Amino acid sequence: MDIHSFVNFFLLPGIVQGSIYALGAIGITLVFAIMRYGHFAHGDLATFGAFIALAFTTTLGLSPYAALPLAVVATGVFAIVIDRVFYAHLRALPKIITTIASFGVALMLRSFVQVVWGVNTTSYTRGITRPENWFGIRIKSHEIVTLLVAIALVVALHLFLTRNKWGKAMRAMSDNPELALFSGVDNAKVISLTWIIAGGLCAASGFFLGLNTELKSVMGWNILLPTFAAAILGGVGRIEGAIVGGLLVGIAEELSVLVIPGEYKVMSAFGILLLVLLFRPTGLFRGKVL
Amino acid sequence: MTALLTMKNLRAGYGDADILFDLSMEVARGEIVAIVGPNGAGKSTAMKSIFGLLDIRGGSIAIGDTDITGWAPNRIVKAGICYVPQVKNIFSEMTVHENFEMGAFLRKGDYSAALDRVYRLFPDLKAKRKTTAGSLSGGQRQMVAMGRALMLDPQVLLLDEPTAGLSPKYMEQIFQISRDVRDSGVAILLVEQHAKQALAFADRGYVLAAGRNRHEGPAAELLADRHIAEMFLGG
Amino acid sequence: MEWITVLNYPIYLAIFICIYGCLAIGLNIQWGYAGLFNAGVAGFFAIGAYTSAILTSPWAEGRLGGFDMPFAVGLVGAMLLAGLLAWPIGKICLRFQSDYLAIVTIGVAEGIRLVARSEDWLTNSARGISGIPRPFGDLPYGRAQLIYLGITALILLVAYVLVERQAVSPWGRMMRAIRDNESAARAMGKDVPYRRLEAFILGSALMGLAGALYVHLARTITPDAIDPMLVTFLIWIMVILGGSGNNRGVLLGAIIVWIIWSMSEIVTDQLPSEYALKAKYGRMFLIGLLLQLVLRFRPEGLLPERLRKDPRDQDRPADEKSAASPAAGKGVN
Repeated sequence: MDIHSFVNFFLLPGIVQGSIYALGAIGITLVFAIMRYGHFAHGDLATFGAFIALAFTTTLGLSPYAALPLAVVATGVFAIVIDRVFYAHLRALPKIITTIASFGVALMLRSFVQVVWGVNTTSYTRGITRPENWFGIRIKSHEIVTLLVAIALVVALHLFLTRNKWGKAMRAMSDNPELALFSGVDNAKVISLTWIIAGGLCAASGFFLGLNTELKSVMGWNILLPTFAAAILGGVGRIEGAIVGGLLVGIAEELSVLVIPGEYKVMSAFGILLLVLLFRPTGLFRGKVL
Repeated sequence: MTALLTMKNLRAGYGDADILFDLSMEVARGEIVAIVGPNGAGKSTAMKSIFGLLDIRGGSIAIGDTDITGWAPNRIVKAGICYVPQVKNIFSEMTVHENFEMGAFLRKGDYSAALDRVYRLFPDLKAKRKTTAGSLSGGQRQMVAMGRALMLDPQVLLLDEPTAGLSPKYMEQIFQISRDVRDSGVAILLVEQHAKQALAFADRGYVLAAGRNRHEGPAAELLADRHIAEMFLGG
Repeated sequence: MEWITVLNYPIYLAIFICIYGCLAIGLNIQWGYAGLFNAGVAGFFAIGAYTSAILTSPWAEGRLGGFDMPFAVGLVGAMLLAGLLAWPIGKICLRFQSDYLAIVTIGVAEGIRLVARSEDWLTNSARGISGIPRPFGDLPYGRAQLIYLGITALILLVAYVLVERQAVSPWGRMMRAIRDNESAARAMGKDVPYRRLEAFILGSALMGLAGALYVHLARTITPDAIDPMLVTFLIWIMVILGGSGNNRGVLLGAIIVWIIWSMSEIVTDQLPSEYALKAKYGRMFLIGLLLQLVLRFRPEGLLPERLRKDPRDQDRPADEKSAASPAAGKGVN
């Protein structure tokens, strides 16, 4: 296989899909690190965000790219609401209970989307986009946008976490929650912040998944396994790990068709997850092990 | 000296059990008070109860005229009391400088003056301010821990076994730094396992056993008292 | 025997309740006793279903089969294979907090679904396996159903009695001790990893059994006959609503939830067709909401564990006995 085929058929799709996973994985790793449980509604929250963007395009007549920021904000706020209504009162109980609740929230989000938009697939735009050709690399405009926006969001998050007082407070809570409390950090505010970020990233993840493939009610659930695998591969609590993990899972998924039958492509994430748990549970960047 | 921090007849514990019984002590501005006693005497527990980490079942704690009994830790911090726990007392994944920034979290506006003061107390840390705190040596980590607590210019500083596991060199440094902090007017209450060293540099002391007051007085007197030394301080 | 046709629906309902009852008891062993969050219940159910189908069905072109084994062999095979699958999963995941087990079991269930859909030679893919026999299956419909109800009810009863006996035995006390205070149990010399694995395998075997019972009821199986998320989630609600750690509780939960679920289908079937389809998805929404309400207002379930009132349990602190997970070990901050 020559380099162009490799890039066009495996590396590039893998990076695009990997960026989608990375955006979801960052949210998962943040929730793991700050609230110490696995958020199983993450995938369906991405579905929700994607369909909210669709709603903005149909009701307000916006282009999908214009709908994206609105969907990001709306989903971020909605995530806080979900937390207040379904998770907040469980905080004193063992964390696994909140995990169970999140499972239920996942189902509620999915069935809500199904009731409102049905189970058929749909998309943001109709028609086929022609790929552009840049030095032999065939890339579509929406793939470029996916990569650029993902990079922008990651950079923005990085700046927030390293330069902003509340971003540092989030890192402090992830690092040593008791000491953060002793330093006067308001637990509730950090949690709200975490949800805005995780929810917003979910919306972006879902949006780009819908943009690059299609919109359907189970889309988010389908990427739950890869995004979790990415977060754990990178190291729980490590944002850079979630990004690298996402990209690796995306690329591995594309490459896997070379060795396993195509129907099992989605299982490559599962394989990665098992390998990580077996040989290096702290992940690539040595995160927490819950 | 008028007392700044007062604890009166405190009864406190965890869950079903009481650990402290009728405990009283006080610390004034500009003095170092050591809490010493045998293992299990409740020394750390006494400190934790001041910081709101225990169930208080009786008695009271006050700073100045403000009763802080039963307050949660983040309220107590706002009242001017800062606490350096014995373990997990730094943000090990953040840099030294960021640890101090987190210490100053509740401050509004510019706090560069406080930062300067802390770096002057711990000059070694200035060069290491971009180093991840968890990678420092034990003694330096303890200094980061104290520096974090001092960023709010607290009126009262609670130190829980600040010299545990440190080499003599760092122990001496910590004691010296504590004296400097005291001289700037802060009330320091510390719990120590090394009773003799602690009483040697403290101003006053409380000897606890089984959650109760046993002896108190100027540190030098406690140190000189043979009976106390044998019964409570390990000879 | 005309009166029996009136009872057809209740009998059908009751059979399902027995099958779900087995699933619920299986999950109760894993969650209620050992504090393990198995989110892939449907996977073990499917393994049991397909195993029994393959073992007992007659020969068919292009697919593994023709063993024509009797019903009982199908059941045993189902339990064995489900338990066998549980072993490596347990070995890898049980040392971590249950969140990891959850995501891995989700993956397992997905993987099994994919295998069922893709491996022609094994499962006949989308066409599925049909002609699965049933004891006394040749009798008239009403009677055959009644007999099958008797069989499933009997199996459920046996499972219940066996598990209950284990629960009140020293084994049960030990499992609860491990769940509630792992470090203390380890200090007492209990082999915690082994016990957890034991519970996981046992529970999974029961789930496989339930799958086999289902397949002989339906007499055919296709990969999409059962929605994995539906099965898994309904069982979880049954266990939590009923009372985890309490076998009678989870059975009660099975009855209540299955009746609500079936009734809601009848209700949505009455709606005009434009709404009926969307309303069907709404059923799932309501079930999800039901879970949240239970977790909020009665996390210990309708029949909480402490109902057992075993005086030998009194060394555990009171507030750890309630709340859907009595587990106070891993996962608590």
